[in-house]
Amino acid sequence: MIDFAVFSITIIAVWSVLAISLHLQFGLTGLVNFGQVLPFAVGAYGTAFAAAHGLPAWAGAGIGVTLAPLLGLLVILPASRLAQDYWALVTLGAGEIFRLTMLNVPVIAGGDEGTSVYRFQNADLAMVLALTLLLVTLLFARRVGASPLGRMLRVLREDEVLAATLGRNPFRLQRMVTAASWVMAAAAGVLYAHVTGYISPSSFTVLETFVIWTAVVLGGPSTITGVLLGTVIVQLTSVSTRFVAQWSGLPSDLVANLRLGAYGLVLILVFLYRPQGLIPERKLRYDADRL
Amino acid sequence: MLTVCDLSVSYGRFQALRSVSLQAAPGSILGLIGPNGSGKSTFLNVIAGVQAVASGEVRLDGTLVPLGLPERVAAHGIGRSFQTPRLAHRLTVFQNIMIGARPQAGERLRSLFLQPATVRRREADIQDEARSVLRRLDLSHKANDYAGMLSGGQQKLLSLGMLLMGHPRVLLLDEPAAGVNPVLIERQINLLKELRAEGRIILLVEHNMEMVCGVCDRVVVLDSGAVIAEGDPDAIRRDERVMRSYLGEPA
Repeated sequence: MIDFAVFSITIIAVWSVLAISLHLQFGLTGLVNFGQVLPFAVGAYGTAFAAAHGLPAWAGAGIGVTLAPLLGLLVILPASRLAQDYWALVTLGAGEIFRLTMLNVPVIAGGDEGTSVYRFQNADLAMVLALTLLLVTLLFARRVGASPLGRMLRVLREDEVLAATLGRNPFRLQRMVTAASWVMAAAAGVLYAHVTGYISPSSFTVLETFVIWTAVVLGGPSTITGVLLGTVIVQLTSVSTRFVAQWSGLPSDLVANLRLGAYGLVLILVFLYRPQGLIPERKLRYDADRL
Repeated sequence: MLTVCDLSVSYGRFQALRSVSLQAAPGSILGLIGPNGSGKSTFLNVIAGVQAVASGEVRLDGTLVPLGLPERVAAHGIGRSFQTPRLAHRLTVFQNIMIGARPQAGERLRSLFLQPATVRRREADIQDEARSVLRRLDLSHKANDYAGMLSGGQQKLLSLGMLLMGHPRVLLLDEPAAGVNPVLIERQINLLKELRAEGRIILLVEHNMEMVCGVCDRVVVLDSGAVIAEGDPDAIRRDERVMRSYLGEPA
């Protein structure tokens, strides 16, 4: 039972980092990234590439965390002159291109068969590392969110043209947010690789993006507590799938698919009835009368 | 001195502006009137950099203003308000005022993490200035309301306040009086007169002739993208061609 708790906390921490990364992009800046799994996969594949080519683990981490933001800048380049709706399509496509490349070019990291990477032997250590990464991203996101930068990112979310007529360069800010949040997601990917000990393309489908989005939208995209709450709820239902299967006597495949169906339903209901999520953005009050 | 020289804009074969030229001196209000679709908003958009231009140039005190790049135009001290006010609706009035200030150290990642004291000081200054701008607009009591919840007239005042935070030398105002109640129009007129006294250049696109005649030093009339008349407000009112194209046939 303790083992299960340690594993669950590790997994929840990793996915919380992904959720905070999406909070910065979508919740604050309004960037609709439907390829959030991409930086995560790049981090994991940096690690897998190093393992497959006999490089040390730190080199793999370095590759993943460096490559992700560069790739991010490349991906959003064609989106710079498009409305934000198109970001969804561009990023969705980019994520799939990366997965299909990994699937079809086995030289990089084993193709369909995947690659084994070093796996943390000590589950407690993995948990501590995951929680440390979570803490760092959380502090970073909180500092940004509560700063003048966070305020300007919210202006971008509301109206890019307004930001531009006020003398800001919207695309520069969007690049900055993308780079920073993709580094976070890549670091989560590196950690995930070492927690599971095995990387293959099937772990990085559009479905994973969808799961992150469910958590973020459910909890409230514009607050850190919101995305954390959403991640806890979604990941707990995810890790408890097999218990539900045992308890109900239904085949676990069916339960897993029902779970995804339930996520879809949750997304629709939240969009319809509580678009701000479970925890809405708090109003920041100022004393206007002070002299 | 704001000098606009031979501005032309076309969408395919439709000419939105036909070599429009004009000048506006510091401490003056230039009215821009004309029927709907005559190119007034396009003209403001070009100067603000929101709209790319086919040909022509804009100079402020002799310096060429980069066209088509709104973020760089703002750095030259040119601010534009929109007919439908552009605001961050899910931020409060106070926050909306604050975002008008420029530059803000706290918007750079490096300063944010390495120079927190600088960021804090600048932020405190911005807050002080935001308070005084709000008082000037008489909007202090709305400071902590969401901008999206304000009435149309208050939103127009707010977007003007946002501009003022950037200390613009040139204000491009697009129909500030449209859909605004008389009390708030009166407040805007007073505000515009103050801004003129401070030596700013104001270009005012407006259909409300009472406001135009009340504050403008000179009026330019546009029709089908071309200047058809220019002069002081009273002369414009007497101009027969203007009456026909814009104010309707005399009874």
